[in-house]
Amino acid sequence: MIDSARLFRAQEPLLATPPLPHNDSASTEAVHGEGEVLPEVAADPAPEAAEAPSDDYLRLQRRLLLATLIVSAIAVLITALAFNLHIAGSLLVGALGGLLYLRLLARSVGKLGNGAKKVGKTQLLVPVVLVLASARLPQLELLPALLGFLLYKPALILQVLLDS
Amino acid sequence: MDSITSAASVIAAGLAVGLGAIGPGIGQGTAAGSAVEGIARQPEADGKIRGTLLLSLAFMEALTIYGLVVALVLLFANPFAG
Repeated sequence: MIDSARLFRAQEPLLATPPLPHNDSASTEAVHGEGEVLPEVAADPAPEAAEAPSDDYLRLQRRLLLATLIVSAIAVLITALAFNLHIAGSLLVGALGGLLYLRLLARSVGKLGNGAKKVGKTQLLVPVVLVLASARLPQLELLPALLGFLLYKPALILQVLLDS
Repeated sequence: MDSITSAASVIAAGLAVGLGAIGPGIGQGTAAGSAVEGIARQPEADGKIRGTLLLSLAFMEALTIYGLVVALVLLFANPFAG
């Protein structure tokens, strides 16, 4: 049988230790014997960081979109000079699709953790619509549109190289 | 387009999307889970974690897009259609 008085005496030095500086009144009360009040959960140190994407992330998004825009503009210009305006137009439509895709992906990554538990799939509709439009519309060429869509990748690689 | 070519194209389109989505799907799930865990542990590093996640997801999802494009080309702009 357990001797409860001896058990209590054995725990006394532990209970008599002074509370840690960060303990609030509720946790102090719980340690010092009331026993019914549970210690409060510590407040989130940065609740605003969990609600809105931080400045770093917004700046990265802006830089990525700008880099994609610059790479796309250069590619469209070179295509217009080397081939013709029809192919350059298809490349431009694809590049705009790539920009939209990157924007939607950035938005779904921004939502991650703030209610959303997984990355959304909305952005995958952009290449689907692009391929379907190039198959249906005679003004759009399939290959330039796809290459234009993939122009966001050189911008990403450039960004990674600049960051590292 | 004869029936054998169309049947093979449909099967190939399904395989391209299905097999091409397995690897990126696993990778994206792992990366997103780790990122959420990292944000929960260090909310002050939120921006950097999200930025790295965005870059890695963009690279990973491109693999899915390749499979998707091959499948859509096979279905809607089939080069083997006579």
